[in-house]
Amino acid sequence: MAPERLAFVCPRYAGGGAVGGAETLLKNLAIRAARLGFAVDFLTTCAQNHHTWENTLPPQQVARDGMNVHFFPVDERDAPEYLRLQQAIDRGRELTLEEETRWLRNGVTSGPLMDHLARHAPSYRAIITGPYLFGLAWFAAMAHPDRTLLVPCLHDEPFARLAVMRQLFNAVAGCLFNANAERELAVELFAFPDERARVVGMGLDPFTADPAAFAARHGLTAPYVLYSGRREPLKGTPLLCDYVHAFRQRTRRDIKLVLTGSGPIEAPPALRPHLLDAGFVSEQEKHEAMAGAAAFVHPSINESFGIVLLEAFLAGTPGLVHAQSRVLVEQCHAAQAGLWFRHYPDFETQLAYLLDHPEARADLGKRGRDYVLREYAWPVIEQKFVSALDALLPVRSSPANNP
Amino acid sequence: MTTPILSIGAPGFDVAQLVADLQAAVDRKLADGVYADARVARAEHTNLVNLRGSDDFIGFYLTCLREAVFIDISDYEIHERRRVLGPLLIAFKKVVWNLLKFYTYRLWSQQNQVNGLIVTALEGMEDQTARKLAALEQRVAELEARNPGHGS
Repeated sequence: MAPERLAFVCPRYAGGGAVGGAETLLKNLAIRAARLGFAVDFLTTCAQNHHTWENTLPPQQVARDGMNVHFFPVDERDAPEYLRLQQAIDRGRELTLEEETRWLRNGVTSGPLMDHLARHAPSYRAIITGPYLFGLAWFAAMAHPDRTLLVPCLHDEPFARLAVMRQLFNAVAGCLFNANAERELAVELFAFPDERARVVGMGLDPFTADPAAFAARHGLTAPYVLYSGRREPLKGTPLLCDYVHAFRQRTRRDIKLVLTGSGPIEAPPALRPHLLDAGFVSEQEKHEAMAGAAAFVHPSINESFGIVLLEAFLAGTPGLVHAQSRVLVEQCHAAQAGLWFRHYPDFETQLAYLLDHPEARADLGKRGRDYVLREYAWPVIEQKFVSALDALLPVRSSPANNP
Repeated sequence: MTTPILSIGAPGFDVAQLVADLQAAVDRKLADGVYADARVARAEHTNLVNLRGSDDFIGFYLTCLREAVFIDISDYEIHERRRVLGPLLIAFKKVVWNLLKFYTYRLWSQQNQVNGLIVTALEGMEDQTARKLAALEQRVAELEARNPGHGS
């Protein structure tokens, strides 16, 4: 019997410079589905940069990671028009439905990818796509909503309040959320029904890392806090720099800030000598940096999963997250492995607490590691994924079997 | 800092309780003015957008601003890290500083005036908005009491 076919639709293929959490999540889920015996087509674009959406990879179909990966060119787009509408949404201006659709169309879309879907959709048991705010995912989902499972990676942000997003969530067969807090947000925004919702997330491979290796390699003698990922205002990195600078000034304690990942850093000049920008590092080095940190600080309020926070837990390091991020707070609370701050005074008190109580830090770290090993082992996630698929899109009898 | 009620590792430990304890300690210190500090206000400016929903934050931010607004030019300390020539260089810089005071004081005092006016205006606006909102809330409550079948 031929294996069941699944299509994953994602704007970029993670790896080689594309580091978005949502892309990583979809790719890893697809790889695991392939290992489970599904025939997986991963449909993506030739673009790697999520600002320019320039076609930098050749259009091609390749066998990679146990899947057929199809790279389709991105359509021509009116970038200034997209940015104009994006700014209007950001500022809370109400757009017409036509303007919202124009915003989606000028984000990232691919006609050839849609043609492929039109030809092959009936052969796919499910089309799994995300994140919700990209035109590519939106049009793919709306073309075949009855067989689409959306991995929304939903945040509480102005885009989530657009009328087109309500249409999307109403139309799809189901949603695979990354956390309960994300599902609750979908209930608040769209009255999303429980029977079409499942929480799946992503598994993490266990690792061990030497806590002293990173500091020794970079000559760090003082304790440090770490953030890994994209550096941009939406991720809260300027806030983290300002907080660490104020912490150093006010408490007169020598603490360093280590950043890994990509993007510019906006830091006060006086913090520069105490900031280590490690840039892109290997997974091993990232894990070592995590294992040696006094805390992993995640200042973003727009997260639907928080892969790096879970990795830090796995490295045995407690988290320090922004209280406005429901998902990160939920992870810290569920794991009993992190604290959450509302503002600078909380941050100062909580970081000082972690620095002054190494035994508490170690205990929180242990709880975090145990939690991730228990809840985010791949077999657990695979089980959730298959159950969600069976519940939301049960196997249909093929037309040949119908009388 | 007050000691958290529960110790980590103890049976029944809940991280939410630890956070609540630490936040309660912070709230007490906030009320005591421990964080009324320009450095806190400066660090917090990137967090303002995240705290739009917080009722207390604008009040706290204004307190920090009030602390920072009137800069005292005389408290500027001159340091020198070079040991050998240090005392000589400090003396030289003090002379330059004093010679320039005639010019810089005028600029500083004008800037202080502007800063003070801005803070006063902001405080006035906040106070006015709070009073208007209180009056409106009272009016809504009265109207709801008069028509119990209407409203939420």
